[in-house]
Amino acid sequence: MDPDAVAKAFVEHYYSTFDANRAGLANLYQDGSMLTFEGQKIMGSQNIVAKLTSLPFQQCQHAITTVDCQPSGPAGGMLVFVSGNLQLAGEQHALKFSQMFHLMPTPQGSFYVLNDIFRLNYA
Amino acid sequence: MEEQVEMVGKAFVDHYYHLFDNNRTALLSLYQPTSMLTFEGQRIHGVDGISAKLNQLPFDQCCHVISTVDSQVSAFAGGIVVFVSGSLQLQGEEHPLRFSQMFHLIPTGQGSYFVQNDMFRLNYG
Repeated sequence: MDPDAVAKAFVEHYYSTFDANRAGLANLYQDGSMLTFEGQKIMGSQNIVAKLTSLPFQQCQHAITTVDCQPSGPAGGMLVFVSGNLQLAGEQHALKFSQMFHLMPTPQGSFYVLNDIFRLNYA
Repeated sequence: MEEQVEMVGKAFVDHYYHLFDNNRTALLSLYQPTSMLTFEGQRIHGVDGISAKLNQLPFDQCCHVISTVDSQVSAFAGGIVVFVSGSLQLQGEEHPLRFSQMFHLIPTGQGSYFVQNDMFRLNYG
């Protein structure tokens, strides 16, 4: 499958899961996965999902502006670089963010997130 | 106490942007034939292509001011992913541009790193 198509499909799946069923993100991470969220480092699927489900908002909507991807090396990994807007329920203005994912292939033919780094982009 | 990988990431970022702002042609020492750059959506491969792109950007003098640097081990072959956000002040422009950039660094085997993957995006307000 075309890498750009894989990256776009992953991004759509990731953010629609985030926005509709945050706990469902658990199967996109594994024990060795790492998240750095606004500078805070978290390791492992359970801890990562605990962090994401405890963020101080119930409802949110991600709107993606750009998706760039590149293969990361011989292991079949893919780097995905995203920018977009995050609208929180009840907030007047959307927050701007950038995020990078390093996806690694699973034996079943899909991808999991090995590295995940998220930053808000302040004006 | 800062982790090793964060120290490497910061040291690399300081070096990269110092070169970019003071001696842009020397940046090619940080790339190898397998390197890839995606610059505002445009994909470029290899040292010559990347060097040409960076040297042909439509400004002579610039200054990068880094706001955040986050690094993680990419867990194979000693690689590191580095995620940067900051501002880019172009000479003669009133307002700086905000940007985000990610690097995937691979050890050279001589104690330093080269940029295997590089993606740059301006962050519009």
